[in-house]
Amino acid sequence: MRWDYLTFDRVTKTFGNVPVVSDTSLSIARSSLVVFLGPSGCGKTTLMRLVGGLDFPTSGTILLEGEAVAGPDRRRGMVFQSYSSFPWLTVAGNIAFGMRYRNDLTTLQRSERVSHYLKLIGLEEFATSYPNRISGGMRQRVAIARSLAAGSDVLLMDEPFGALDALTRERLQVELREIQTKETKTIIFVTHDVEEAVYLADRIIVFSGRPARVLEDIDVTALLGETRALAIRESQEFFKLRNNVLHLIRNETGSE
Amino acid sequence: MIRDLFSFRGRATAGTEITIGILTAALVLLLWEVVARAGLVLPQFLPSPTNVLVAMWTMVTTQHLLWHAAVSSIRVWNAFLIAAAMAVPIGILMSSYRIVGAALEPIIDFIRYLPVPALVPLSIIWFGVGEETKIFLLWLGTFFQLVLLVADDMRRVPHEYVEIAFTLGAKPRQILWDVALRAMGPTLVDNLRITLGWCWTYLVIAEIVAADSGLGFVIWSARRYVKTPEVMAGVVVIGLIGLITDQILRALHRRMFRYI
Repeated sequence: MRWDYLTFDRVTKTFGNVPVVSDTSLSIARSSLVVFLGPSGCGKTTLMRLVGGLDFPTSGTILLEGEAVAGPDRRRGMVFQSYSSFPWLTVAGNIAFGMRYRNDLTTLQRSERVSHYLKLIGLEEFATSYPNRISGGMRQRVAIARSLAAGSDVLLMDEPFGALDALTRERLQVELREIQTKETKTIIFVTHDVEEAVYLADRIIVFSGRPARVLEDIDVTALLGETRALAIRESQEFFKLRNNVLHLIRNETGSE
Repeated sequence: MIRDLFSFRGRATAGTEITIGILTAALVLLLWEVVARAGLVLPQFLPSPTNVLVAMWTMVTTQHLLWHAAVSSIRVWNAFLIAAAMAVPIGILMSSYRIVGAALEPIIDFIRYLPVPALVPLSIIWFGVGEETKIFLLWLGTFFQLVLLVADDMRRVPHEYVEIAFTLGAKPRQILWDVALRAMGPTLVDNLRITLGWCWTYLVIAEIVAADSGLGFVIWSARRYVKTPEVMAGVVVIGLIGLITDQILRALHRRMFRYI
């Protein structure tokens, strides 16, 4: 495992006079699923946006494979909570849009990739449906597939399941783990849901309240293993870890 | 079903709504006819609907009413297309690049509040009484309104769409064409439709002041001889053209944006 795949080197970010991220250094391994967990508005989203090149650090650098992030490009794809898929394109059209700005693919390769990712997210039947005709969970799958089709190495997911009902949410969490195993992508997943974090993550970075700084770095794989059956959610280890993380955050926000 | 019509925020089928709309219009016409025929109001003030219809028919057969309607329509469309062709790109740029927005917003906001009729004399001094004056006045009335509406449509394009496109490797130019224009499509077309309606308002002003053709001219000359049925017939023709254009554009909107 290469731990220096994605590195944050003394990154700070201030908006005007408000410090949002304070002196954060981190190394993230290739093809791991890292969850940024922290209280709402703590700056974890900002930190992720810096990785996407959608915002720039006030000081410090973010390096992807040793190269400083200088702006957005298709190596790092975003999946948002809302407005995640383009309503004027069909499901297949949305996935194909991911390849629109690549000129290294033939027409045949493009359509093959569309079918591949349609299959991966299980939406073959809905290929010609518009986003308004499919459920919120399906729309999030489309957004993931579009980034993968674009050829992103890193997926940046900003509370992508935050607006979904509990059951759909659980299903998508299972699917995301599967997709990540199959496609071996590096995923940074931002959430404030502890349960979601513990189930999904290979590693959880717990952030303090604003300005964000790393409170705790938890190796979840070492505690829960790499494969996550749904049943793991009812195991002792899961509860223990979840409670530990909850306490950490409660202490931080002073709500205990 | 009847109860649904009267319940707060209730729903009705399209068929029911059309029927109710037609029945109400018919009722108003009937009332009008009765009032006019009973002589409750002098006919030079309120001729009956049938009188207006007869007048309209005479105007079509002997006074080239349809030709005048065509002349007016061409003026409206000319001015509207010029205004739209300018307002759409300028409005989009105003919301895309702060330098364009910051530079143009104060000027546009100022001119937008100038009433078009107040500029008629100036327009005649500049362009005389030919076609240019009419097109200029219509353009004046629509461009400055439309450009702000377009800028607003552009501003409302969710930033998520723009950022998604950036992380898929798009450049700003590509985002304008492939994302922003598509995302604002439905509201843009709606605003164009509404602006086209305003064009007709200014048309009548332009044609009353300086014209020897067009529906505004027809209405204004009929007024001079207190031919009230003819005046009303002219107004009704404008209303009909508006109604038909609007319905066609709405249908087009539904076809273009099936995904809504």
